[in-house]
Amino acid sequence: MADAASGSVDRSVQVKLVLLGEAAVGKSSVVLRFVSNEFQANKEPTIGAAFLTQKCRLEDRVLRYEIWDTAGQERFHSLAPMYYRNAQAAVVVYDVTKATSLEKAKSWVKELQRQANPNIVIALAGNKVDLVQTSAVSSGSTPSSESEDEADDATATPGESPSASGDEPESLRQVPREEAQAYATEAGLLFFETSAKTGEGVVEIFTEIAKKIPIEHILASTRGGAGRSGGAGGRTGGAREDVNLEEQQSKKDGCNC
Amino acid sequence: MSTISTQLRNFKEPTKDQLTHVFFSIPEVPSVPPKDTEKRGPGDIENMEINAILSFGAQEVEDSYAGKLHLLPPYLAFSSLDRKSVKFTLPLSTVRRVERLNARAGVYALSLSTWHGMKIIVQLTSLRPTADLFCSLLREALKAELQRGQMKAVKGFVKTCYSEGLVSLSGISDNEREDGSLITETKEGCPPPETEFHGGLGLQFKFPGDPKKLREASKIKLWTTYLKNHGRNLTLLRYPQCTRLVQVGLPNRLRGEMWETLSGSIYLRFSNPGLYDQLLLDIRGTNSTSFEDIEKDLHRSLPEYAGYQADEGISALRRVLQAYSHRNPEVGYCQAMNILAAAILIYMSEEQAFWLLEVLCDRLLPGYYSPTMHGTLLDQRVFESLVTRCLPMISDHFQAVDVQLSVASLPWFLSLYINSMPMVFAFRIADCFFCMGPKVLFQVGKAILKINGEKLLQIQDDGGFLNLMREYFASLGDSAHPESADPRTRAITRFQELLLISFREFAVISDETILSERRKYRNEIVNSIESFSKRSAVRNLKTLARFTKEQAGFIYDALYKAMCEIPPPPAAAPPPSLLTTADGNQEKAETRIGIPTFHVFLSEILTWARSEKIVINGFQQRIDREVAEHELIDRLFYFWDTSCKGSLSFQDLVSGLDGVMFNDLMENIEWFFNLHDKNKDGYLTKDEVLTLSESFLFIFRHEIGDAYLGAVSKFMTNAFEYGDSLLPQYTDSKTGAAEPREIGHNQPYLNLATFRMVVLADEVLESFFETDLSASFRLEPVPDLELPPASSGFLGDLWSNIATQDNKRMFNRLSDELGKTIGKHQVIYRPTIGRFTKLEEPTARESLISPPTKTTSSGSSLDTGVAPSSSSTLDTSSIHDNGPLSGSVFSPMPHLKAVNAAFMERTPFAIDDAGDDDDDSDLDMVHGEDDDRVLDEVDAFLEAHDSGLTEADKEMAKDLLNAEPVK
Repeated sequence: MADAASGSVDRSVQVKLVLLGEAAVGKSSVVLRFVSNEFQANKEPTIGAAFLTQKCRLEDRVLRYEIWDTAGQERFHSLAPMYYRNAQAAVVVYDVTKATSLEKAKSWVKELQRQANPNIVIALAGNKVDLVQTSAVSSGSTPSSESEDEADDATATPGESPSASGDEPESLRQVPREEAQAYATEAGLLFFETSAKTGEGVVEIFTEIAKKIPIEHILASTRGGAGRSGGAGGRTGGAREDVNLEEQQSKKDGCNC
Repeated sequence: MSTISTQLRNFKEPTKDQLTHVFFSIPEVPSVPPKDTEKRGPGDIENMEINAILSFGAQEVEDSYAGKLHLLPPYLAFSSLDRKSVKFTLPLSTVRRVERLNARAGVYALSLSTWHGMKIIVQLTSLRPTADLFCSLLREALKAELQRGQMKAVKGFVKTCYSEGLVSLSGISDNEREDGSLITETKEGCPPPETEFHGGLGLQFKFPGDPKKLREASKIKLWTTYLKNHGRNLTLLRYPQCTRLVQVGLPNRLRGEMWETLSGSIYLRFSNPGLYDQLLLDIRGTNSTSFEDIEKDLHRSLPEYAGYQADEGISALRRVLQAYSHRNPEVGYCQAMNILAAAILIYMSEEQAFWLLEVLCDRLLPGYYSPTMHGTLLDQRVFESLVTRCLPMISDHFQAVDVQLSVASLPWFLSLYINSMPMVFAFRIADCFFCMGPKVLFQVGKAILKINGEKLLQIQDDGGFLNLMREYFASLGDSAHPESADPRTRAITRFQELLLISFREFAVISDETILSERRKYRNEIVNSIESFSKRSAVRNLKTLARFTKEQAGFIYDALYKAMCEIPPPPAAAPPPSLLTTADGNQEKAETRIGIPTFHVFLSEILTWARSEKIVINGFQQRIDREVAEHELIDRLFYFWDTSCKGSLSFQDLVSGLDGVMFNDLMENIEWFFNLHDKNKDGYLTKDEVLTLSESFLFIFRHEIGDAYLGAVSKFMTNAFEYGDSLLPQYTDSKTGAAEPREIGHNQPYLNLATFRMVVLADEVLESFFETDLSASFRLEPVPDLELPPASSGFLGDLWSNIATQDNKRMFNRLSDELGKTIGKHQVIYRPTIGRFTKLEEPTARESLISPPTKTTSSGSSLDTGVAPSSSSTLDTSSIHDNGPLSGSVFSPMPHLKAVNAAFMERTPFAIDDAGDDDDDSDLDMVHGEDDDRVLDEVDAFLEAHDSGLTEADKEMAKDLLNAEPVK
């Protein structure tokens, strides 16, 4: 929304964010939704990592997300440190229809908490929630479920989530929201259930992360030329924590530009 | 969660023979079916190399080149002395006639004719007997090929090659073709339908790029001439002209075939007919995790290309990737392979692509796509070091702003730039890559950095770096000198500039540079991969139990060492049906070890699970470790296998050890009791009491003195006494006397309380359970495993040959024998508990020649306190002697540095001279000029080549062309 022009340059804060998670949980789709508000087949295969940027407005500040969308295949795991190095935020994605993907997510969280920047803000995102929602809205046979059967994730295969298309949407869910929420609380993570397909929850992740990031510190360190300390200071929180809903709404617009 | 691979340890430096095979792009193991080898006997296939001068003349007279002729059955290969000007690899089956030429006296020359009549003359310049031997070996090898029927196979095979049609067709209609659209061109240029040549998706979905702009017609014409004169497909001779033509870009329709010819994958296809189709049949109906991964990526492999928006392209891609992953399950499928496969399928048939993919993954990009991706990491490290050396300013700046080169360069290497640059340009890099080898990737990578040098010095973070690279790649088609007044300079694109800088300024980066750099950093990479997987294995433990992370690391080390010694059986893959239905729970095969590996593992950390013999033979004193075999160890294995899978995971080991290492007296007694209570009913049977006693004896087998023996026998007596007396009594109705009931051997007999009482009745056993049992498990750093020595050159190789385990063993055996003959041989078992050490000092030791070192002090300090055996001292000292020596003698670095420094001083864009011979880019150009333009570009790459011959030699070589065969 062209706010970059009005906001002076020195006001924009760069935030390095990394997406991690098992293969085919929809990492790239979540980013695509956030960056260009689209849902489509991937144009760029993720080799190593894809790099995208998106501006996001928070109060009077402009955050410039530098997003590293990493490859999910297990063997790329050893390359991941290269991307989460110096990251101020991470979104760990799992697939609500696949229990093992949460396990993998947990191991990513553990790794981040031990190896990454000590003040990294981590968000846990259960993606493809659209696949399990149809039953909640109208349990039983719904005409819309047909279209929803299309995998949320662009990279999903006929053998993946759609394989269960004949099942009741109810049974598709393998990770109860409560379970993931409980884990997130215990591990001190932000938690969202998202759908890159419908857009649900996607922008919220990035706004909430923006609120939690110690912006002042990043600003101070970059201005002072102290190098990329990556927000080594404590969380400033405070004033930013109590943003009301309207502001949040406006921020959403800012993000979707 | 964790898979532990010991594969990296098994790496061996390639032998000279292997390097030669790689150099000539010959499949490593000549693809001879095993039964044939047996039939012909191993002695028949003999390699030989000989000095030779190659002269060659069909229509044009080319220079003659001095070089080496290699007989590598079933191939004959030649390379010029500089190893780059001229080279060929001929399958012997394409040779139809070999004649000895009747030339001047003292000249030994052979004339070889290929199946299509091309004549190659080689003058063997070695001594006469050597030349005779070479000839007889060549004759043998040719005979063998004839017997195998390979000669006949050639005719059928070449029909699949586009070049054959091109050459035969051009003989008839060598007229100027229009630069028409690709479709019409394909129709016109299409060889007669009976030659079923292989082609790629491009024939149907068009090739990327504008054929007119790419000057396709001119390129085809030049290549037709070249192929006619210098052989094609199986018989291609690579003269400097060939390399230059490749550097200006291969014509689309010939590209696929040239790729397989230049990379050598054509030899694989030739020697394995029908294998690809067979693989496709084999995989029908099967499934694997690789297949699932492939499925996910099919639609995101060059999705902008029309062929991959259609089912044909997608299915072809699927088949090729599946076939490869099936043939090479260790690699399976790695993201980025889809990009390569998709790219090469545009230019070649599925079968061709399959073999090229194999050559890519196995030889050209070794280890790039393996599960650890060690090849990728290694080459990134090598690239980084080359950049540090050649472009120090950039490297310093990157360090200052903390930007990692790999964030951009990793995808360059992993997908051959296809993912980074516009396809037309990436394919031209691929042309050079297949022709000149992996060094091209490094040369281009450095040229990219050099060209963008000034801007790179401005970047502040990863993002800026990536954006800069993205912009640069998008502008590759633009003029490199838009402001130049000279239109010819203006016409040079940034891409041309890139190639020129790559091959001129960074020509110093040779295959040898890459090889030696890889050797240098290999250990570093392997160690970092291993410590990474160790850290994640420890982190992914569900519970550390009472261990610290460091201790868990020691357990991991011991496990890893055991796995290196006895690799566990391959993870039992669940039946395919499970894979598809289950929700991916089986997806990651966890590393689990079987009993044999467990024995080794336990011997690492548990003193009584190994036997340590102190061998003294008068020459040396050493400790031989043997893995102990006993029922008790197997019992432990099953005791810890709580999930009853017949195998143990890292987690099982950690939990199992936790159950015994932190116990106090009572807990230990209980643990030992439970270990022997098989049915877990709280009672030992009489048999189990006996087994338990045997376990005691096993544990105490090397203890000195009678104390333990006495304790065990006392234990047995007491156990049965108490056991009997505590049996439920029943009153004999007749006598009224209470009698113990007779009890079967497998009936519940002794409970924990009784066992405890019996144990505590003995001081020795009590102290065993109180401290010694727990203390016999020792988590200590495992000494570093030996990696293949990093030192290069002859001495390094020699050393790696000598310092094998086998040789050490042989040396030990020899000295033992000697020791026995002179009566100094002596073996002492080291006690595993070592509480009683007073009795053991054998008197024989006093008479030793060398003063005895303290080997049998108290048990706990034994592991570390023992002086290293003389043999191992010898080993390490000689390693130290050799290391620096070989490094300094054989390192090419000082020289390289000087050359690179010289290059760095040149002006940034020293290509103005190249622009001189290029002309304007008028599209309505006459064809003749167009050809010239391509040739001009060819000339731009011209490098002075030295044929290594004197004028007299050349004269003689020319003579030979007209010589008559010996009658």
